[in-house]
Amino acid sequence: MNYDDETLMAYADGELDAAKRAEIAEALRQDPELARRVARHEAVRAQVAGAYSSVLDSPVPKRLLDTAQRTDDAASSDPAARRGTVVPFPGRPARAPAMRWRLREWGAMAASLAIGAVISWKLFAPTDSGLITARNGGLVASGSLARALDSQLASAQTGDEPVLIGLSFLARDHRYCRSFAVPAADTAGLACRVDGEWRIPVTAAAPAGEGLRQATSPPPAVMELIQARIAGEALDAAGEESARRAGWQAGATPPRD
Amino acid sequence: MSLAPEEIRAHIVGLLPRLRRLARSLSRNQQDADDLVQVAVERALRNSGQFRPGASVAAWMFGIMKYAWIDVRRGRQRRGEVPLPDDSGEHPVVSADDANASLMAVSEAMGRLPEEQRLAVALVLVEGLSYKEAAEVLEIPIGTLTSRLARGRAALAAELGDPP
Repeated sequence: MNYDDETLMAYADGELDAAKRAEIAEALRQDPELARRVARHEAVRAQVAGAYSSVLDSPVPKRLLDTAQRTDDAASSDPAARRGTVVPFPGRPARAPAMRWRLREWGAMAASLAIGAVISWKLFAPTDSGLITARNGGLVASGSLARALDSQLASAQTGDEPVLIGLSFLARDHRYCRSFAVPAADTAGLACRVDGEWRIPVTAAAPAGEGLRQATSPPPAVMELIQARIAGEALDAAGEESARRAGWQAGATPPRD
Repeated sequence: MSLAPEEIRAHIVGLLPRLRRLARSLSRNQQDADDLVQVAVERALRNSGQFRPGASVAAWMFGIMKYAWIDVRRGRQRRGEVPLPDDSGEHPVVSADDANASLMAVSEAMGRLPEEQRLAVALVLVEGLSYKEAAEVLEIPIGTLTSRLARGRAALAAELGDPP
């Protein structure tokens, strides 16, 4: 059985339904040439995604932070604004794209991280503003987000907290990182401990939970970065507690491989 | 949930690292990319009233960036600015562990893709959107998205050769 390139690509990207996926997985076992073509799609994806990942870590220029934070646009650099013309806007679907972590990736994630417990997040109280501030060309947690990152243990969460901690782990660069979600703001992200503060290399829209304790997951943009950075496995409850006791200083402890 | 302008602004600040990455994958260098981010953010803030309740700020911003990118390119062409040749004939030496060299090589290859293929590759491979999400951002049918993605990917594979 032969498959066209788009089908193999969709397989590599986890875009096929379960029946088709199983059918192709079986075909791949029997046909090394098909398997090679799928591997090629996966390799290009990894190469392209990997090439641009460093941009997330480079400091955000001050002018962009100023642009995003200032309330007047007198100094606009957009020619369309200066001319006063109407800018075409994309029509948005009434419902947001789901941005969900796909099942296949969950499987890979669970296998590689050995997550012991389901992380349950729920929509709760309105949160204070200023959870994330811009400082020194980067985004830094502040307010109740910073407090939660400092002190909240994922293992002790009831799901009612305004900030929910997901995974905590030691990164390859010997720093502790923690994923978080702020349900009231539909936001999730990753924070890493650098020089006594929680720097935030990525945030993403988090799917809003419906009802109590609905288990959701970090959005793909956050999960990808976790996978890129994690050294070894996510911290278990004891590891999380001892990291907190150490003030999230990794010290000289080498990361496990 | 309906978002106040200040909440949208907070979301956008949080999205800046991703917007810079998306813009970088569409642009020749980080300078051009940051110019593009600036234009997109200004437009979004000016038009935050058009944000639909319940939509994703990220998807909305990506759509705005698409238009901003196309406008900036058209503007350059109108002003008669000749782009630097995308194909200089020289390829950087790529070593497996050199992220910078990898970025240069991929960036060069991306620069040779037609606009619509570059957008598809940027949203799916760089930003990690699903086909459906990317098709919605680009306002095209999902079949069109997959065909552009497949062609762009084939061109990149040919250009980049086999990875180590």
